[in-house]
Amino acid sequence: MHPESGLIRLGFQRAHEKGPVVPTNKLPPEIGARAAIEDIKAGFDAAGYVCSEAIATAVFLAVRLGKPVLIEGPPGVGKTELARATSTWLEKPLIRLQCYEGLDEAKALYEWKYGKQLLYTQVLKDKLGDLMEGAKGLKESIARLHEFDDTFFNEEFLEPRPLLKALWAKDGAVLLIDEIDKSDQEFEAFLLEMLQDYQISIPELGTISARIPPVCFLTSNNTRELGDALKRRCLHLYIPYPDAALERRIIERRVPELCAELNRELVAFVQGLRAIDLKKVPAISETIDWARALVLLHANTLDVELVRTTLNVLLKFQDDIENVDGELYALTSAARKAR
Amino acid sequence: MSAVLTDFLKALRASDVRVSTAEGMDAVAALAAVGFEDRTLVKNALSQALAKSPDDKLRFDACFEHFFAHEDMQRIDDAEPEAPPEGAPPNDMPPPGGGGSGAGGLLGLLESGDRAALQLALAQGAAQARVNEIRLFTQRGQFTRRTLEAMGLVGAEEAIERLEAAGEIERARRARRKLVELREEVIAYVERQMLLLTANAGTKLREETLARIPLARAEARDFKLMQGLVRKLAKRLIALHSRRRKIARRGQLDVRHTLRRNIEFDGLLFDLVWKRKKIERPKVVAVCDVSGSVAAVSRFLLLFLYSLTEVLPKIRAFVFSNQLAEVTSLFETLTAEDAVAKAQRDYGWGSTDYGRALAELEAIALDDIDHRTTVLVLGDARSNYGNPGHASLRRIHERARRVIWLNPEPRTFWNTGDSEMRRLGAACDRVESCRSLAQLEAVVTEILRTAV
Repeated sequence: MHPESGLIRLGFQRAHEKGPVVPTNKLPPEIGARAAIEDIKAGFDAAGYVCSEAIATAVFLAVRLGKPVLIEGPPGVGKTELARATSTWLEKPLIRLQCYEGLDEAKALYEWKYGKQLLYTQVLKDKLGDLMEGAKGLKESIARLHEFDDTFFNEEFLEPRPLLKALWAKDGAVLLIDEIDKSDQEFEAFLLEMLQDYQISIPELGTISARIPPVCFLTSNNTRELGDALKRRCLHLYIPYPDAALERRIIERRVPELCAELNRELVAFVQGLRAIDLKKVPAISETIDWARALVLLHANTLDVELVRTTLNVLLKFQDDIENVDGELYALTSAARKAR
Repeated sequence: MSAVLTDFLKALRASDVRVSTAEGMDAVAALAAVGFEDRTLVKNALSQALAKSPDDKLRFDACFEHFFAHEDMQRIDDAEPEAPPEGAPPNDMPPPGGGGSGAGGLLGLLESGDRAALQLALAQGAAQARVNEIRLFTQRGQFTRRTLEAMGLVGAEEAIERLEAAGEIERARRARRKLVELREEVIAYVERQMLLLTANAGTKLREETLARIPLARAEARDFKLMQGLVRKLAKRLIALHSRRRKIARRGQLDVRHTLRRNIEFDGLLFDLVWKRKKIERPKVVAVCDVSGSVAAVSRFLLLFLYSLTEVLPKIRAFVFSNQLAEVTSLFETLTAEDAVAKAQRDYGWGSTDYGRALAELEAIALDDIDHRTTVLVLGDARSNYGNPGHASLRRIHERARRVIWLNPEPRTFWNTGDSEMRRLGAACDRVESCRSLAQLEAVVTEILRTAV
């Protein structure tokens, strides 16, 4: 096979160098940064995601500069949720790639439709006689064969996986590469081309660039140190546990049934809990679960007994629950004061 | 702005945040996108473009706050409640003398009490005096002087003298005091710049020296720093070598390659290809002399090896002076530093007996040594005229992938007195003199290069 014969360029030039990545009615270029960020905050709020200043800035930069964002932070602070909210806000489909050990390009990028290719060879064999009719000698037959395009390794036979889907998406997309730290280092290296130029190389086809560069998010729980090369290509957003005010707003947004007083108590309690040395510190997702549980129980105020019976929603290790048990009274009364 | 940003990057690098050129360019693009009006916005944007780990973020925050501090000239400002003293000339009078507009400017600035303008003048003066090139504590005076001169100190002093000559003693006195206060401001500014730019220069210099001095001569107070250094070096080696470890996935059909290979057979699956990658499990058996002068070196070698557990999954460590003991479990339960200290305390007594130690090693570990094992022996090979144990070492050598002997003595001392380096070295693949952290790193790198 001639190396160039099957080369097709599906995309255009590196579109992200020319301005905003995703063509969107959101964030027109003439609007100032401060206004844009307020816009993002409001838009995300409507999508059910309360974001801090830093998060809004990251989304703003990701869209304006067309750079992927690497999100780090403890589990349960809303890293994955951020990508989902962005997709809702931009009204673009969310394409998610969950990473795990052993993930390879056949599962992340593309696969050939082998069955179809086999059928094709069968069909080709049958038709070969017709095609070669009248050709004299081997040389002429081969010359005639070369007149046909290389249809075997062709876009037709390509089964797109998440990364390719994101590049092929017609109106752009939000690409979430979840838990990149779980994947192998080879895969991380493989991503570099994709993240830098929004293009990938398929040996049989050549380079495929994005029709419209997607907005990329990568999340990591830091189970292993990511390579410098990857970090260099991304903006880096660290989402810590939220402060009390932000957490109250999140709970307000996510569990609107909860009354304001209990919300304040509950958040104060969780914030107090985070200061204790625990195996698994409760994150926002646990706080939300707990708030929902308290709503179901028709609770109006925290008391030690209620906390003790529902603590397993917040803490996921028996050791932690036992450790905290002695401090419950102090924590609860401190939380009451926040009411 | 780009000049300010360049200076800021310099300050960031000085406070140990690694910033590449590409990231610097990202920062420029990010700044262009967010503008300069909003401080928190600028901070967030720069932080996301430049600081790429939680530690870096902390350092970034501190550096940012320092660098873009709101510099107030309060001392100059509230020194005097601005009530024109009686007898003072009306302030529309031009600065007397008026020689050199710069001089008049500084005096005028001081008298007008315009904070922002004075701050601007200070920044300009500092830029002119190249304060951002300050390196050493002792340069403070020099840079302060240069900044003041760039701001027009000489002219201002002359102007004050002229004022005195003209009999305006009160005004001259006030101007002089403001000048002194300005000098204090400038000193504070220069010091802040110096702190910003040289925060870590001292440590870096020290680390560079420590990497090169002989370990036996390192002082106890430096151990902590050196342990940090070892960890840093180990981290670098891990980053360098962990990429080469492959994962084996046996029994999985590689459909793609199978099809491609079988196209020549009419698409019949004739020749199957399996997904398979080679797995390498390097093993290291480290044997360390922990008596006397060798102790310092063995301490760091063990620390080094145990910092590398991420790329060296299997390490067995033995220490000996007159008898051999395995310390592998110590390292699993204690931190590396504590483990080394305990090993030295418990086993570091007695005169070295290589014959016995190597014979015991053969008895304990020979079964575990195979063609993947690298045996590292660290010792000065001084056997006190006893049996050097070269026969045991030779038997180990036959089994192992290779045997490396590290000797903390310089080569010229080998084979003098009771040193048995020649006989022991004959049973090794390599013998190295290993006296400093830098040499230690070179040796460990060599092991990783071929073993991982």
